Amino acid sequence: MADTPLPLLPQVQVLSKDFAPELESSKDGVETWWITKEELLPLCSVLKNKLPQPFDFLYDLTAIDETRRKNGAPQRQDLTLVYLLRSYARNQDLRLKIALRADLKDAPSLCSVWPCANWYEREVWDLFGIRFDGHPCLRRIMMPSSWQGHPLLKTHPARATEMGPFSLPDEVRDFEQESLRFDPKAWGLKPTGLEDEFMWLNLGPNHPSVHGVFRIMLQLDGEAIRNAIPDIGYHHRGAEKMAERQSWHSYIPYTDRIDYLGGVMNNLPYVMALERLGGIEVPERAKVIRVMMAEIFRILSHLLFYGTFAQDVGALSPIFYMFVDREKLFGIVEAITGARMHPSWFRIGGVANDLPNGWDKMILTWLDEMPKRLRDYDKMVLANRILRKRTVGVGAYDSATAIEWGVTGPGLRATGFDWDLRKARPYSGYEQFEFDVPLAQNGDCYDRCLVRVEEIRQSMRIIRQCVENMPGGPYKADHVLTTPPPKDRTMEDIDTLIPHFLGVSWGPVIPAGEVHSEVEATKGSNAYYVISDGGNMSYRTHIRTPSFPHLQMIPVLAKGQMVADLIATIGSIDFVMADVDR
Amino acid sequence: MNFWYSFLAIVVLVMLLLPTAAMLVWVERRLLGFWQERLGPNRVGPYGILQSLADLIKILFKHDWIPPFADAKVFVAAPLMGALAVMMSYAVVPMAPGWVISDSHIGLLFFLAMTSLAVYSVLLAGWSSNNKYALIGAMRAAAQTISYEVFMGLSLLGVVMLAGSFRLSDIVLAQQEGWFILPQCLGFVLFLIAGIAESHRLPFDLPEAETELTAGFHTEYSGIKFALFFLGEYLGVMLISMMITVLFLGGWLAPFGLEGFIPPIIWFVLKTFVLISFFILLRAALPRPRFDQLLAFGWLWMLPLSLINLLVTAALILGGQ
Amino acid sequence: MTMQWLFYIAGAVALFASLRAVCHRHAVHALLYLVVSLLALAMCFYLLGAPFAAALQIIVYAGAIMVLFVFAVMLFNITDKDIERERQWIRWQVWVGPTLLVLLLLAEVVMLIQLQPAGAQQEVQLIEAKTVGGLLFGPYLLAVEIASFLLLAALVGGYHLAKALGRPHDGAP
Repeated sequence: MADTPLPLLPQVQVLSKDFAPELESSKDGVETWWITKEELLPLCSVLKNKLPQPFDFLYDLTAIDETRRKNGAPQRQDLTLVYLLRSYARNQDLRLKIALRADLKDAPSLCSVWPCANWYEREVWDLFGIRFDGHPCLRRIMMPSSWQGHPLLKTHPARATEMGPFSLPDEVRDFEQESLRFDPKAWGLKPTGLEDEFMWLNLGPNHPSVHGVFRIMLQLDGEAIRNAIPDIGYHHRGAEKMAERQSWHSYIPYTDRIDYLGGVMNNLPYVMALERLGGIEVPERAKVIRVMMAEIFRILSHLLFYGTFAQDVGALSPIFYMFVDREKLFGIVEAITGARMHPSWFRIGGVANDLPNGWDKMILTWLDEMPKRLRDYDKMVLANRILRKRTVGVGAYDSATAIEWGVTGPGLRATGFDWDLRKARPYSGYEQFEFDVPLAQNGDCYDRCLVRVEEIRQSMRIIRQCVENMPGGPYKADHVLTTPPPKDRTMEDIDTLIPHFLGVSWGPVIPAGEVHSEVEATKGSNAYYVISDGGNMSYRTHIRTPSFPHLQMIPVLAKGQMVADLIATIGSIDFVMADVDR
Repeated sequence: MNFWYSFLAIVVLVMLLLPTAAMLVWVERRLLGFWQERLGPNRVGPYGILQSLADLIKILFKHDWIPPFADAKVFVAAPLMGALAVMMSYAVVPMAPGWVISDSHIGLLFFLAMTSLAVYSVLLAGWSSNNKYALIGAMRAAAQTISYEVFMGLSLLGVVMLAGSFRLSDIVLAQQEGWFILPQCLGFVLFLIAGIAESHRLPFDLPEAETELTAGFHTEYSGIKFALFFLGEYLGVMLISMMITVLFLGGWLAPFGLEGFIPPIIWFVLKTFVLISFFILLRAALPRPRFDQLLAFGWLWMLPLSLINLLVTAALILGGQ
Repeated sequence: MTMQWLFYIAGAVALFASLRAVCHRHAVHALLYLVVSLLALAMCFYLLGAPFAAALQIIVYAGAIMVLFVFAVMLFNITDKDIERERQWIRWQVWVGPTLLVLLLLAEVVMLIQLQPAGAQQEVQLIEAKTVGGLLFGPYLLAVEIASFLLLAALVGGYHLAKALGRPHDGAP
């Protein structure tokens, strides 16, 4: 990914002798090493602690069931564990792969090196059945604790029709309900002998302030929180499994619903991954339209955050003003795409339609009236003394903690850490735009809000540049894999008719390969790790969402807070559960 | 005469209060809508004016449910207590010369006593629901109400000293020379804040803070029992507004020597309505402080200020004698 | 005459509520009876011509102190098991002694009332707040000051105790 890849392996070999991984060249240019599971822990501690300019960030951890794959690295066995590490200092990624046999599905846990590995490993255990030795509490995370099997294995059914009709007899229902009862021991809590002093409070899964179906078990001393245990999975829809059953093209609407406030922002990493695999060059106009729409959705999401954050602290009115703004903006989105929250409007190789007549005037009008309203909100929300008392210094963390726990996006920038993917690794033509990366210093709730509010203004800058400099030309690529393919010449010659027919009926066939594609989404870093086996469907699609690690961090922030502080903290994280559970 | 006359007055007052409180719900929702760039209820009847009636009908037809895990007797009694305690207070509020059910010589004390009893409603509702959120709400309510009761009482003593009586009509008549809001401006602000805290309105709605405690003490309530809480809250807002009018804004007295062509009751209603609107505006404008911040604010600011107010007023009165 | 009847009714309510407060096994219900008893007492005060004392009785005792009692008992998490255990503790052997002693006292009181001169029924005198204030800061000044010393000591002690627990956030002040 970096412009001039540093020779990383020799540097590592200086620190740990006899280390000789097998290399794999990946289509996305990420350096990929095949290692053994015995090498994992020593290697990671070298990479994180000893290496100059270390790999301080465990970006992602997932697995692949390789049993039905035809095209892949020769090192692969039945299952592959994939670790994606990032060095902020080097601006470089490193992918580690471990091949596992089906009869030896275990690996050492990385929790001792990166605390954020905890949930990722639980997810891999849950969905693939790979055990992690040394994990503090390896229990299911996405599926209910009573689930049989591991859904992302190729042997697990993917369609309802493969599973027989669904029924829920009373005794099963009662059993399921009972299994939701919180048992501290099952969550790895050691008895302290003081249990009677404290009260366990279930915050969620249905609670007005958890923004979806999210559950936190709180151990309370009066109103002070002694322990917080987040529990997710209530919104799990198996988006990754569905990717293996949808054609490349027809999966686009599913991506919209990952971060359901991000709209087309979710399409972007997915289609970019496919374009990289297929070697499609997207025309300039399509790129600028994509940036513009993505930034509009960033504003939409941030405005909703702004309002709900104020509401979580008890201010009733701001959300209504911001909904008015969003309503106007949705009007523009609707005029351009035909839909409002989930347009699914990006296509492999471009966007669905060209911009309609008069689109620029609508956007400019909105851009002109917005700054005054934003100033009003500053006075009403950010300058309010009660709100400041509620949020300044509350739920604070520093950059090191944030990176340790995998925080990305505004939550990271609020600590003063200057990292924005749009600047660090520009994609879709972001390098051509002028904008600043807003930073704050304290990393508390107030600063997280401040950063997002400033990002609204920066996004408006970008959108204005898009409107003023919109290039002409086609809105989708003239490429055989573009879906739906350009129809102009279809009826002219057989060489375009056949690919058009196949592309529309089967869906495009994306060449085999693996690609990791990432965007700076509304809530942080959103990435698609797409593996094609040369078919018209994905072999494996892994979605790395920002909210997942953000929620994992809640216990760190919650300890010692009051319940009201926790609500402000949760509000300031800005997550949606669909983005967490997928 | 007296018994039947009083009885009739009580009936009339209750018949007036309940619809007014219901209308207040509609007024609040419309005003909030106006201030929040939206419409508010506007479908039932002209300008949605019958919305409260529709809500009432709906709420009356709801299943009168008592959770199986609740302490049934207390659970039912709690909302009744709240509404009753507030309604009792209205007995001593003079709305116009002679327009009062009991012009008691301890009227102000009676008001304070009833306010202090109203906390039982919240406390017992929270406890009897047998729900942790409700219990936390009740805990908050108890601490908040007991604290702010102290400041409420203290902030009124200046007025009592100036008027030389606990009788509310005496207090109004003592303001013929000038409303007490001027000499007692500090007391006015303190009483206003304490009044909002006592009626659990935003920004002091911590006992029910819905973003934190779902609905706090009335989480388990529905139907008519919930409506009683709702009624109690709005009657409380009206009561506090009336009390401020009586104590600080000259009650039924006309401002600027305008008396004569407008009957006193109109002035009283007008002043009360302005105050109610102010309460609603506060709700639209302010976020909610944290629980410990609220209590700290009370004991660190309200208490010293109300004591200073008390001492300075006493000193001035003694100096003047 | 009406006043007398009202007084007797209030007195009866106070007696009955107090009895229930003592006998009731459920702590919160017992406390509620105690509150009722206090309210009835306030009524008695009022009818005896002490409206100020009556109001204070409600504001201070029923409205503040008892709230704290209820508040504290609420948090004890008393279950049916506890109630059952208490029922086993308090057998008739336990309460028969105190009851006999109290009955003795009652008999004494009845005799005292009998011994009073027949024409003792006096006109009810209103005692206003001013009178109470004058008394407190006049003849009873020393008692008031001693009480305030005690309260101050209790306040400091309470603060110290609450602090010693070392909790990060404290609920009620």
